[in-house]
Amino acid sequence: MLVFLLRRIAAGVVLVVVVATATFLLLSLTGTDVARNILGESASPAQVSAKAHELGLDQPLVVRYGHWIDRAVHGDLGQSWFTGDSVNQSLANTLPITLSIVLVGMLIALVLSIVLGTVAALRGGWVDRVVQFAAVLGTAIPSFLIALVLAVVMAVQLGLLPATGYVALGTSPSGWLQSVILPAVALAVAATAATAMQVRGALIDVLRADFVRTLRSRGLNTRSVVYRHALRNAAPPALTVLALQFIGLIGGAVVVEKVFGLPGIGTLANSAAVRGDSPVLLGTVVVTVTVVVAVNLLLDIAYGWLNPKVRVS
Amino acid sequence: MRKTAAFIGAGFLTITTAACGGGASTGAADKTLTISESVTATPWDLAKASMGPEAQYYQPVYDTLIRLNTKNEPTPNLATSWTYDKAETTLTLKLRSGVKFTDGTALDAQAVKQNLLHTKSGTGTAAGEIQDIASVDATDAQTVVIKLSHPTAALLPALGQVSGMIASPKSLTNPKAPVGSGPYRLDASATTAGQTYTYTRTSGYWNAKAFPYDKIVIKYLADPTARTNALLTGQLDGASLSLSKVKTVKGRGLNVITYQPGDIEGLFIWDRAGKIVPALGKLKVRQALNYAFDKQAIIKTAKTGLGEPTTQLFAPWEEGYDASLNSTYSYDPAKAKKLLAEAGYPNGFSVTMPDLSALFPQEQEALTQSLKNIGIKVKLDNLPSDQIFSGMLSGKYALSYFKLGAPTSWDKVQLELTKNATWNPLKYDDPKADALITQISKASGTERTALLKKLNTYVVDQAWDAPWTPTVNAYGTAKDVKVTPQPGINFPPIYNFAPAKS
Repeated sequence: MLVFLLRRIAAGVVLVVVVATATFLLLSLTGTDVARNILGESASPAQVSAKAHELGLDQPLVVRYGHWIDRAVHGDLGQSWFTGDSVNQSLANTLPITLSIVLVGMLIALVLSIVLGTVAALRGGWVDRVVQFAAVLGTAIPSFLIALVLAVVMAVQLGLLPATGYVALGTSPSGWLQSVILPAVALAVAATAATAMQVRGALIDVLRADFVRTLRSRGLNTRSVVYRHALRNAAPPALTVLALQFIGLIGGAVVVEKVFGLPGIGTLANSAAVRGDSPVLLGTVVVTVTVVVAVNLLLDIAYGWLNPKVRVS
Repeated sequence: MRKTAAFIGAGFLTITTAACGGGASTGAADKTLTISESVTATPWDLAKASMGPEAQYYQPVYDTLIRLNTKNEPTPNLATSWTYDKAETTLTLKLRSGVKFTDGTALDAQAVKQNLLHTKSGTGTAAGEIQDIASVDATDAQTVVIKLSHPTAALLPALGQVSGMIASPKSLTNPKAPVGSGPYRLDASATTAGQTYTYTRTSGYWNAKAFPYDKIVIKYLADPTARTNALLTGQLDGASLSLSKVKTVKGRGLNVITYQPGDIEGLFIWDRAGKIVPALGKLKVRQALNYAFDKQAIIKTAKTGLGEPTTQLFAPWEEGYDASLNSTYSYDPAKAKKLLAEAGYPNGFSVTMPDLSALFPQEQEALTQSLKNIGIKVKLDNLPSDQIFSGMLSGKYALSYFKLGAPTSWDKVQLELTKNATWNPLKYDDPKADALITQISKASGTERTALLKKLNTYVVDQAWDAPWTPTVNAYGTAKDVKVTPQPGINFPPIYNFAPAKS
């Protein structure tokens, strides 16, 4: 298992380097005049040239890449071309916000999907059909629309929760929960829908398996069969979907953060992409890919915990 | 199960009750002003600073040499008086005595000299506004003499904005935190770069009465819907609004002001020599374009009725503006078609323009449809948002929708009307206009105003562009906060905010 994990970590590092390099090349090939974007329409060509020189944009691509990768491996992701802020600091400021809404969203999705999937699989009939319909609806409605409705109804109309902003967990746990609950719910809807269907399908399959029949024949009650044995065997496929949803939620956070005015990594990446702020965009890509690799590693560990056969292989 | 439901319900009630009680500051009651910015801050180093909406981040900390009042006129601030020489190439400023930076350094003529030269040496837009400064001398502790390479009306407005801000000489280059002599200082412990900036009052500030709030919080909120929601729910005391939100905000009883930041928008004709589209080299064709737009209808649909038709590049308060020019071209598609026919294009012509509908959907639609109505076929070229400037400046487009913005009319002349102007991508050259511009650059006072008016008239008559309207900005504030609009400035300066009188 250790060798397996070390191999996965090495592959993850290679992936981060490859994605960062590809991003660097793509950003360099777009033809964006960053110096002009920084200075606006009123700057003279001479000012634009001076800014481009200051940023090192007049250097060959290979040299620029060399500088960036050299600093990156030393832990310095550079400075924003627009604000002058350290990219490391910006990421440190924004990542907790995105992780807060994504993890709370994941938690909501995990709990609801297990409950809904299990109820649908066990009850069948109209309950199953309602859950399936709700799942289709949840998948079909885009998260930004849910976010907009939640913001208008829960925050603006009813005044129950804040419409915008983020409170750090360390500053106020209740304030933190208030600030992340609506965005997390907006993100969780689609993830819940997809995962609940996976739980339902996997549980139905497992409940038809021979070992379940054996367990029942030995006199185990339904609760024990479902919660101690069937759900555990149905978990791996559901976990795979949830892990994929996590990656999707990070992507969805870009729009949801915007609606709720959350200065998370999605907002950071979005504004950097729109303006062509390469150091910031590269930093967000590196961090996002690292998080995704880490989640996949955790998934592998979870597989091993749930299924001893994985540990052996 | 019931217990669980009750627990969850109680928890939600606690959260939501706290949410209602734990809102953001509300105006004067706690003497905190919380406003939002739509753009991120630029570096604290004034040599790298921007002049647009970013100015609000600097205003609490860095004081300006002069203060632009609500009519955009220069009034005393750090400089108590100023005089130009007869040729208007030397400006002598007398400084306020006894002013200190928050690090204890005295604000004197040497500090001002260092600042102006430092800012000028930079690559930010603030630097671009004072490039006409040839030299700066500190003749005594309270006197600064600025020599210009030529007369310009743009210097005083620039000294009232970011270009004229003064930082402590000890923190001029790449400061981690700003050190100024302004009414507030940055509270680093309550500031998160790129998100929230908190400023607390500086004790002993010489003009404290002009700043009624003890604390100012500026939050970066890029999305206009999020800004509006935050304002409506009391999380903000002030926020810029998109025009479509004005009615909603007013409907909730909040205050809304509208003002002109000085930009002029409409159809800009880059190919006046007809290099790409030969038809545009003909005056009658360019005049036809000016008759093609129902500006009132465009203002009504794209600007929610906020705006006024114009034909000129200068804003109403700018030197050289002539209200009578606005009747030069009224909406008349029949006349436009007639002019096209007289110019030899009875069936119109085709033109490729950048597609800006992602950013300006209604404006792009109005433009395309209006040209189609007089027989001009428009082919739209997709242009990503981060390549708009470079694409339009590349010289491959003959026409496009555009907003021309600059602090003064003279800046606008230099920005678009000279042969080597940045926004003259096809390097159109008109000897008559060149001669006028040369005369303006050497003139001063009423003579310069008259020459600018003459140039303005010539440009309108020659239909260099087809402007529609000055851009209108909207800003909303809480019921207990009053903000005074200021033309020519993107966002209201912080000294224009005050508690509303009930």
